[in-house]
Amino acid sequence: MTASGDRDGTTVSAGGRARRNNRLLGLGGATLAVTMIGLTYAAAPFYSAFCRATGYEGTPQQVKANTDAEGHRILRVGFDANVAPGLDWSFEPEVESIRLRTGQTATVYFRVRNLLDTPAVARAAFNVTPEVSGGYFDKISCFCFTEQHLGPHESAEWPVVFFLNPDLEADPSMARVDSITLSYTLFAPPSERPAPARSADRAGPAG
Amino acid sequence: MASVTDLSHHDVEAHHEHHLPTGWRRFLYSTNHKDIGTLYLVFAICAGLIGTALSIIIRAELLEPGMHVFPLISAIMSGDGSVDAAKNMYNVFFSSHAIIMIFFMVMPAMMGGFGNWMVPLLIGAPDMAFPRLNNLSFWLLVASFILLMCSLFAEGSPGMRGFGGGWVLYPPMSSTVGTPGPAADFVILSMHLAGASSIIGSINFIATIFNMRAPGMTMFRMPLFPWSVLVTAFLLLLALPVLAGALTMLLTDRNFHTTFFEPAGGGDPILFQHLFWFFAHPEVYILIIPGFGMVSQVVATFSKKPIFGYVGMVYAMLAIGVLGFAVWAHHMFTTGMSLNAQRYFVFATMVIAVPTGVKVFSWLATMWGGSISLRPPMLWAIGFVFVFTVGGVTGVVLANAAIDRYLHDTYYVVAHFHYVMSLGAVFSIFAGFYYWFPKMTGYLYDERLAKWHFWVSFVGINLAFFPQHFLGFQGMPRRVVDYTEAYAFWNMVSSIGAFIGGAGTLIFLYLLYDAFKAKRLAGDNPWGPGATTLEWQLPSPPPFHTWETPPHIFGDEDAHAPAIAGQGSPA
Repeated sequence: MTASGDRDGTTVSAGGRARRNNRLLGLGGATLAVTMIGLTYAAAPFYSAFCRATGYEGTPQQVKANTDAEGHRILRVGFDANVAPGLDWSFEPEVESIRLRTGQTATVYFRVRNLLDTPAVARAAFNVTPEVSGGYFDKISCFCFTEQHLGPHESAEWPVVFFLNPDLEADPSMARVDSITLSYTLFAPPSERPAPARSADRAGPAG
Repeated sequence: MASVTDLSHHDVEAHHEHHLPTGWRRFLYSTNHKDIGTLYLVFAICAGLIGTALSIIIRAELLEPGMHVFPLISAIMSGDGSVDAAKNMYNVFFSSHAIIMIFFMVMPAMMGGFGNWMVPLLIGAPDMAFPRLNNLSFWLLVASFILLMCSLFAEGSPGMRGFGGGWVLYPPMSSTVGTPGPAADFVILSMHLAGASSIIGSINFIATIFNMRAPGMTMFRMPLFPWSVLVTAFLLLLALPVLAGALTMLLTDRNFHTTFFEPAGGGDPILFQHLFWFFAHPEVYILIIPGFGMVSQVVATFSKKPIFGYVGMVYAMLAIGVLGFAVWAHHMFTTGMSLNAQRYFVFATMVIAVPTGVKVFSWLATMWGGSISLRPPMLWAIGFVFVFTVGGVTGVVLANAAIDRYLHDTYYVVAHFHYVMSLGAVFSIFAGFYYWFPKMTGYLYDERLAKWHFWVSFVGINLAFFPQHFLGFQGMPRRVVDYTEAYAFWNMVSSIGAFIGGAGTLIFLYLLYDAFKAKRLAGDNPWGPGATTLEWQLPSPPPFHTWETPPHIFGDEDAHAPAIAGQGSPA
């Protein structure tokens, strides 16, 4: 094998070897850097899967059905509904809060109305606070799992079906949590939003 | 310690027939590690002066309650003297202060400046492995700085100039919600270029240190400064791409409707904080580890003893580097992490105090029983050990998630990181600067002035930052332009300290002027028998090309101790 930097091609000179090693180390370093950029991008789906799996950051769990295990703690569950700027809809829960026994399934409706003269699309971002309760907040069905369409001035009542997993009674960090808030914010898809708002209006309670 | 080097005289005399570029070509097209190092140092001094000026203006505003300075500055810079414009200008100033000091002062001085100048000399290499990439990485940094300056004059928040979201660039402040204007895009692109510059530089250092050491200079015979540069280069190579990736996501969120950090499309702004701190916690070690290396060599030189616990020092740096990637979320205790996650990050953060303690005690043990001479580099090095320890102790305090609840985003945090950065990193830079200035320029500086510089800076900066611990305990939030009467006293003390520290900088500038004007020749080794590393075997300033014939390093190649040069004739 001859070193690429070696002129006569018969022996590997020290200079040629050094150049080749430099090149290898340089390529290795560049590969490492590019790999890290790749891993950074991989972090985005990984993080969202991690949150869904663990309830981290107050991400409610998505389940098929209630386990039917009845618990004994009763917690307050509050509801909060917001509409982000750029979407002219009204949005509010039918009740401000309910009291719910762990393991019991509850259904709560959110009233929503498109105030525009045109059909519009929205998607709800959601989480619960305190964040540690995310892992115990099990949603069976929710309007927030899919994109929602409303015609001009159409109104609707959207249900969310959920229960509080009785496992929370065994978690010491949930021991002093008596109240959980489920919060929704409705957003227009980014591509349909107007250019960045120049005003100071922010997401706030609607309705 | 019977190891010696064979310094053939022809080595420094040879190759005088090489064409030496002159004038602007010498620097613009430079591929010479010494010239590029000089460029980096000059750049770092200029950026440091700008960053210092920004901080003095910030402290002038905080001298007493009320807004006095920034309405005027805002009126001059953007023609709008209103309170809102003044607040925005204040935010822009502290954001720019941080970015300039981190990316354009400390990093260029340590890695670009001293790293380029000294690593090849210390390991007996003729130059860096990729001299042209070296040139590229310097000029990318200049372009990056120009982009940052552009951001100051571009629109950021509606109707305002500049980006005021802090160096952390958190969305939604940095997304189109908080900063719709292009100022944030300029900052992002500036960080991209600075990152590319540092990644290229790191690859260069890694190849140089692994592959271009002189025969006999085994890894465990290298002095500690090249070791620290090697560890730092790996940190940069692993951490900066994460920043680049996160900033690219932010850029596409801002301009191309992606939703990595936008809840509207299922994104999450907290993800940015995770990615950012996965970069930025190693980054703060990037800012200090080369300082560890410089301080180790300075302390050994002026104690006239080999460094205590050389192998332990190397492994401590490696351990700090590895652990640095495992503690990022201690910056995010208030984002609602689970208790177990907090427990882990508290524990992991406190573990870092162990290798750091190894380093501090090894410096003390090096001085213990040594023949100490308190020349200016040693003063700065001892000052470094003191302030770095103070900053380290407050770091352990902040590592506690429960205490951090209270102190998060208060002036206590500001005091903590300025003790490790503004005092620690900067003191180590000055230790290195005063240590190697005679070698780099061939001139001696006025040691009396250098000691004045040290004492004025030491008093000034401590006076500026120590009271900020009290302000933090009192609950004063950071990044505020105005505060209540309750915080007035210690803010006044802190501002006076900052002005004294600023006066220290003026002494430094005069010292530079004096050193170049007086032209007192330094000779090969102004520091005497303690200076045992290879660079002191060369003339001062070293010729354009050095170690074209590698120095021959004698002694046991398996020894785990830095190679010592100049101890008599070849064995």
